[in-house]
Amino acid sequence: MAHDLLTLAFQRPAIDWHGIAPELVLLSMGALITLVDILFLEKARPYTAGLAGLGLLATAVPLLTLAVDGADRVMFSGAYVIDDFSLIMKAVFLLAGYVVVLLSTNYVAEGDYWENEYYGLLLASVMGMVMMASARDLVSIFVALELLSIPAYLLVAWRKRDLHSTEAGLKYYLMGVFASAVMLYGMSLLYGVTGSTLLSEVGAGVAAAGTSTAVVTMGIVFVVVGFAFKVSAVPFHTWAPDVYEGAPTPITAFLSVASKAAGFVALLALVFVGFYSRSEVWEPLIWVLAALSMTVGNLIALRQTNVVRLMAYSGVAQTGFMIAPLAVAGHGLANGDQALSATVTYLVIYTAMNLGAFAVIISLARRTGSADVTSFAGAFHFAPGLTIAMTVFLFSLAGIPPLGGWFAKFEVFRVLATAGEPWGYVLAAVGAVNSVIALYYYAALARRMWADDPLHGDRNPVPMTPSLASALVLCGVVTLAFGVAPQLVARFTDVSLLALGG
Amino acid sequence: MSVLAALEGMDRLSGGEVLIAQNVAFGVLALAMVAAALRMVTTRNVVHAALYLVVVLAGVAGMFILLGAEFVGVTQVLVYIGAIVVLFLFGIMLTKGSFGEDDGVTGERRLVAGLVGLLVFGVMAAALVESFEDAELSRSGPSTTAELADSIFSDYIVPFEAVSVLLLAALIGAIVVARRD
Repeated sequence: MAHDLLTLAFQRPAIDWHGIAPELVLLSMGALITLVDILFLEKARPYTAGLAGLGLLATAVPLLTLAVDGADRVMFSGAYVIDDFSLIMKAVFLLAGYVVVLLSTNYVAEGDYWENEYYGLLLASVMGMVMMASARDLVSIFVALELLSIPAYLLVAWRKRDLHSTEAGLKYYLMGVFASAVMLYGMSLLYGVTGSTLLSEVGAGVAAAGTSTAVVTMGIVFVVVGFAFKVSAVPFHTWAPDVYEGAPTPITAFLSVASKAAGFVALLALVFVGFYSRSEVWEPLIWVLAALSMTVGNLIALRQTNVVRLMAYSGVAQTGFMIAPLAVAGHGLANGDQALSATVTYLVIYTAMNLGAFAVIISLARRTGSADVTSFAGAFHFAPGLTIAMTVFLFSLAGIPPLGGWFAKFEVFRVLATAGEPWGYVLAAVGAVNSVIALYYYAALARRMWADDPLHGDRNPVPMTPSLASALVLCGVVTLAFGVAPQLVARFTDVSLLALGG
Repeated sequence: MSVLAALEGMDRLSGGEVLIAQNVAFGVLALAMVAAALRMVTTRNVVHAALYLVVVLAGVAGMFILLGAEFVGVTQVLVYIGAIVVLFLFGIMLTKGSFGEDDGVTGERRLVAGLVGLLVFGVMAAALVESFEDAELSRSGPSTTAELADSIFSDYIVPFEAVSVLLLAALIGAIVVARRD
């Protein structure tokens, strides 16, 4: 044994420091926040939120230099990749994280919650997402998923004095670990068949003629189901409404965009790099998930009387739209790339508009402390600016031009219709019907805000804060800009995974 | 003689060479694990269930050692039996209420759960048997702990470091959520 150890010379891994600079900056900022708390205790409290926001913006700097550099970077024999796809998604996660910090600033400070730890956990979760965008290896994907999920489970339970929050945290945790276990089992099957954790090699192994169909099918189904939970696709959406309602509202916003986008990133990498050759397995599965998510999400959303629950079901339905292009992605490489671009475009625009809607909900809830539909009635009389903003975000979610949402939906329909496959047309039809249903409840909420009388005739203005206002302006400008000039977003989301997957 | 003849087909590690001791050990471990797993889900006493879990996890550790993965086997004993099950027992004892007998599971749920379990078992078993029926495992020699360490600190360095961030975050978050304030 002794000579074994001697001959086994350790090779230092070749690390591209520029490539992982975003993760390192984020890590050091997270460490700094924890350190500041230990050193200055209560005195540091007012600065924590600013520090967290600064950390997320600082992380964007190496991201920009990487984007300017433009070269694809491959580390650890393909386990960690920095390409256009990962850069745009990392940017989405960082900006979403920044807006969530803006939304949290007053919420956490005024609610008397544990503040420093809150931002530390938020940064840890964002770091998991940033890693997820680059992970092209089953182990990295799983670790990134846990790194983004476990802080999120804890943050959901952050309102400790409220039983709903504790219940939401427990529910989210139990359902989450169950989904992780199912997914991990699927990964172990894929590893057993292909003998590698690298997605590119899994892809090659899965495509090889001799590989067993039964085990590969089980593996793919289990992995996709695990991520279907993460992105709250029907029938794995049952956790979403309760968790969204019980969690601190900024965390709800975080889960509904960043966490969902991270699930999608992993799903896209797995489907396009790992499973692409087995489209006969994942296309029907995703078709069913997409059709069910759109329909069930929208139908239940019609009956909601709490705006946060309404947004939860609307999020489920939006998941259906995001996942829909994948149902026809297996028909040739050009088609696959278009489907990928459509999903990424949708994710980018959805992040902006959904965060905006939550910014309005959080602002209005500052006045009444409730997210019930009745407390939104007549908002125009006491908060005209917020009402206009909410209308913009709701109509964007519904897909009305010239707001960002229309371009996202347009891309999805274009991919579905140009695939030249009967099932694609059927799914496009399902999507069209659902767009109408969604417009009904989005418009109903907007109408209530414009036309109804305020509850109890209460016309006190909403106490706005600078951070909430800047979050609103940021999301509003992005939502409008992407709708008026869709080529802006199309330039960044024109990405490909297939070329690299080989 | 008939038992050995049946076992002959089982060992694919060495390509024909039968390692009787390994096969017997596998059979004993597998039987003990299945029996303990069944008792674990059927017993009405949570403490007993946790102790049956120890048997199952020890069996898994034994399997790892049979496969030549001694590091994973030892880790299995240290982490799962040494830490997690002990934590279970502490958890059961510190939270009153569900200590001892518990019959919260109704007959109807039991039936549905059993059916789902059987279905999943059937599908999985069929798929695995169909795929690996006559697969030959190449015998590349047991992976030594040194090789394992080597790959953790080279190819898997990013996930490894991420796990440390994850554990720290989980620790901080758990303290905040659990502490009384």
